[in-house]
Amino acid sequence: MKLQKSWGFPIALILSLVICGITYAALGDRSLAKGARGPEVRDMQSRLISLGYVVGPLDGIFGPKTQKGVKLFQKEHGLKEDGVAGKLTIDELKRLTAGSTNASGKALGVKNIDVNLLARLVNAEARGEPYWGQVAVAAVVLNRMKDPAFPKTISEIIYQPLAFSGVADGQINLQPQSSAIKAANEAISGVDPSHGALYFFNPAKTSNRFIWSRPQLITIGNHIFAR
Amino acid sequence: MRARGLQNAKKAWIGLLLLALLVSLAWGYNKNREASELSLVAENHNRRSLQNLAGHLTKLETIMAKEAVANSNKQKILYLGQAWSHCEDAVRDLAQLPAEQTGLNYLGQFLTQTADYAQVLAHRLASGGVIDPAEEKQFNDIHEHLLSVNNNVQQLLHRVDNEGLAWTGKTKGFRERFNLGRSQLAEAAAEGQESLPSSVSGGLEQLNASLQKLPPFSYTGEFSTREVPEPLGLSRGEISREQALTVAKDFLSKVGFPNRAPELASETSGLLGGYLWRSGNVLLEVTRRGGVVSSYRDQRTPESRLLSVDNAREKVMATLKSLGWQLELTSTEDFGPYLQLEAVSEKDGVRCYPDKVRFMAAMDNGELIGFDASAYYAFHHERNLPKEILSLKQAASKLRSDFKIAESRKAIISKEGNQEVLCYEFRGHYQGEDYLVYLNCTNGVEEQILRVIQTPRGEYIE
Repeated sequence: MKLQKSWGFPIALILSLVICGITYAALGDRSLAKGARGPEVRDMQSRLISLGYVVGPLDGIFGPKTQKGVKLFQKEHGLKEDGVAGKLTIDELKRLTAGSTNASGKALGVKNIDVNLLARLVNAEARGEPYWGQVAVAAVVLNRMKDPAFPKTISEIIYQPLAFSGVADGQINLQPQSSAIKAANEAISGVDPSHGALYFFNPAKTSNRFIWSRPQLITIGNHIFAR
Repeated sequence: MRARGLQNAKKAWIGLLLLALLVSLAWGYNKNREASELSLVAENHNRRSLQNLAGHLTKLETIMAKEAVANSNKQKILYLGQAWSHCEDAVRDLAQLPAEQTGLNYLGQFLTQTADYAQVLAHRLASGGVIDPAEEKQFNDIHEHLLSVNNNVQQLLHRVDNEGLAWTGKTKGFRERFNLGRSQLAEAAAEGQESLPSSVSGGLEQLNASLQKLPPFSYTGEFSTREVPEPLGLSRGEISREQALTVAKDFLSKVGFPNRAPELASETSGLLGGYLWRSGNVLLEVTRRGGVVSSYRDQRTPESRLLSVDNAREKVMATLKSLGWQLELTSTEDFGPYLQLEAVSEKDGVRCYPDKVRFMAAMDNGELIGFDASAYYAFHHERNLPKEILSLKQAASKLRSDFKIAESRKAIISKEGNQEVLCYEFRGHYQGEDYLVYLNCTNGVEEQILRVIQTPRGEYIE
């Protein structure tokens, strides 16, 4: 009995710490700032990455790169740019990365699964181009989808052999920047600055006669868009 | 002593070099093993794709033959649906095979067009239409083309199986290396001097070239016919660059940028071609024909979110009104720093969905930061709507009896083949889901069904 009494307090303390740890594991229960660690930081990093923000390795450690990513997210979403993921920041992050539901509230998962792939292509092909040019590159893929001469899904169009140099040289596998994700979303909503183009190319880097023979529609940044 | 020391150092160096040699040999062996494994994975993947391609083409050929003889709509729809599916699978397999040069892939195009054609005919039969003799003949012509495609692909498969045919050409010639035109293989095929290809990709390239020799496949697809040849919403007559600048300045002053002097960024061509103007972060395009602003984009990043969704929406709608637009708002998506909205024209209680305008509102001050009226100017026109139509009650009786109607209205929607159709739009609830069902006002046929879901950014229709 004596032994049980002497162990009672430490066991209760350990249990409460474990429970606290589990409770803290949920994103949104506390503000996260530089130096924080744990599963909730990892969850936040993962959500930021899915929206195109660079946070360094997905390691659950709130380091300087994660802080920079949080600040950029705050800046681009009209929030106070302090690098601390407080309630407003986390709520906005959760809202933008939540799944879809039907009219009865049943979870349907993420509906725009192709946005990320399209954004990766934009990132590979038009990183450094003006934003409007990035939307136009995304629109070219969507225009191909509607044309009978091309396959009918975004992934089939993007992975058509040698269709895009960014796929052939592996740049498609880089994490897309937030502007590429925004551009992909805007093109998917129906905006098409390319005027219905099916091809785009950099005139300084392309000598392919086929691509030069196509009717040119518009020049945005370093790209000529053609049909 | 010194000589002994030198000898020891020499031995140590030799030992180190031997160790380095052993390490590099082990590294090389390991890399070679990894490369062999990857090569085997790629070989298996390529073989599977080619085998699947040949399989789908063979089945497609049989199905097209059966479709030709079928005389009932039910059978025809079944075969057309199967043909469509096999074509799409074949395109997918073709896209997995290694290729050597970019450019239009005629085989892929042929298969995609065939899929599109089969889909269009199946839809038409399913909605009570018919296939006319010219279309029957077109489908038979495609079948004839397919026989020759099949033969070529099967030969390639046979040579891969029995002769170890390479997937891609081993070396490139001077002309290909420096991109001086098509390869000799393709040119030889186009000129009728078909030689035996030395690789699968070469064989497919030869097949592409030989397809170009066949009589043209006149079907260019629904997309090309859905595009209007000229913008229906723009008046005739073109404006000059100076006039376009005046239009641009006027628009800018109404959206919060008075006294701006935009510079010409590019002249554009196409259906709504004109002049692209730039002023700082702002881009806007004025059409040559009709002289209207077809698109506008302020690329600034909005500051802190200060407005509610309703406030921002009200402000941006007021701006649109000042630009002369009277539109019915149909959707709002909240992206955080900005809202993305869509609105359509409405006349005599009929919503015209093809006449769509997309725009964006900043959540810091409600300014218009994006505007795209391309669809509106391409499709808006005076429409002659049918007079003899079903009553709302008659149309509603065509719905499932357990579909709970929440809203209804008349609407014009687009359908395949550059057609518009006047429908009753019923928004309602069925088995825990929200739907929009469009019934043809004239005959009650279900023209379209859309599902409404909730996404983090707002309502989404799929």
